[in-house]
Amino acid sequence: MSHESMQTLLNANEEWAQNVIKGTPDFFTQSATGQSPKILWIGCSDSRVPESVITASKPGDIFVHRNIANQFHLNDDSALSVLTYAVKVVGIEHVVLVGHTNCGGAAACLKAAEDAAADTGAPQPDTPLTRWLSPLIALVQSLDLSACSASEALDKVVQTNIITQVDNICNSEPITTAWADPNAKKVTVHGWVYDLARGRIDELVFREAQA
Amino acid sequence: MSQLQLNAAEDLINANERWARDVIKHDPNFFKDSATDSQRPKVLWIGCSDSRVPASVVTASMPGDIFTHTNIANQFHSFDDNVNSVLSYAVDPVGVKHVVLVGHSVCGGAQSAIQAAEQGPVEPYDPLTRWLAPLVQLVRTLDLHGLPENEAVDKVVEANIRKQVENICLSEPIVTAWATGKNVSVHGWVYDLATGRIRELVVRSPPCANASSC
Repeated sequence: MSHESMQTLLNANEEWAQNVIKGTPDFFTQSATGQSPKILWIGCSDSRVPESVITASKPGDIFVHRNIANQFHLNDDSALSVLTYAVKVVGIEHVVLVGHTNCGGAAACLKAAEDAAADTGAPQPDTPLTRWLSPLIALVQSLDLSACSASEALDKVVQTNIITQVDNICNSEPITTAWADPNAKKVTVHGWVYDLARGRIDELVFREAQA
Repeated sequence: MSQLQLNAAEDLINANERWARDVIKHDPNFFKDSATDSQRPKVLWIGCSDSRVPASVVTASMPGDIFTHTNIANQFHSFDDNVNSVLSYAVDPVGVKHVVLVGHSVCGGAQSAIQAAEQGPVEPYDPLTRWLAPLVQLVRTLDLHGLPENEAVDKVVEANIRKQVENICLSEPIVTAWATGKNVSVHGWVYDLATGRIRELVVRSPPCANASSC
């Protein structure tokens, strides 16, 4: 069994580490003493949206949670524990929920909604992936996409998804608690979309504590 | 954009703009191609949300290289739909060939679990405590007596990586992949924050499909 691509990655890591030390000899020893990122990025697992590369960020800049279709479910301990740790322990100041164009998860939900509407008969199998995407499928079903081309429909799903996840984050305990406490650090929640075709992030929405 | 003057979120968007312009200068078709071709990464990285371990930066990878999932203390819980859906999607349809489970030194999650284990059993009462409960259980099985704090954390970090690799190998996507002869291997890596280096701790390859090809 060949592990050439693994060795390539490990070699790339070695070269990267050496370059960092050449430029900043104490970068890693300093890094090991603690982290104080200002940003929590909740994004998609899609390989084309590596948060630190597309923002030219360094280790220590961005606390990260990435999953299929950049979801924030209020019953998901994984995302909730990340948000809790990021806000209460690490002390981040911005939560950015980042969706992207050409999202495979969003496209899968569009297809699932179309199949359900066409009533092809076979029920959806109960798997982690279908359970994970069922809120997004329900969101798709709530949209009027009748006047949209296929690509317009996908864009509309991607954008509505981002805004819905931002709403979920704003309704979560760590955020509602932070916003209700006048002595808590200020936290802003942003909804961003990354356009694969341009390599650019655009802000769709942001929310702050009401004054 | 918000009414605040320069803030960390705005900085990020500005940095993205500069980065995108740089990429286009060197390869004018990079983004157009990225958008029209579906992704074909060979690697799924399951790591920690810690800001100091950005998968693509520490491996000098480009967009398109690494399918990524991160959470507190790089856990793979068999009952977690979040990570299971990532693994499932990564194996099929994305078609990764390697799953790397990456832990790191000085992990805050590991440190929290060590403290919690010392306090004795407690009913998990919030998402973070529930999330760390399996890791706390793992800590209780380890002999950390007499170890200085950093060595205790290192021991927990390594045991955690090995445990999560086992969990991944027992998961439905991997069991099915191996039973159908799919070429997917599972690696346990540890990233040393103090040196920036990754070290492979363990690798699990698919069992041979038939004896003659071993």
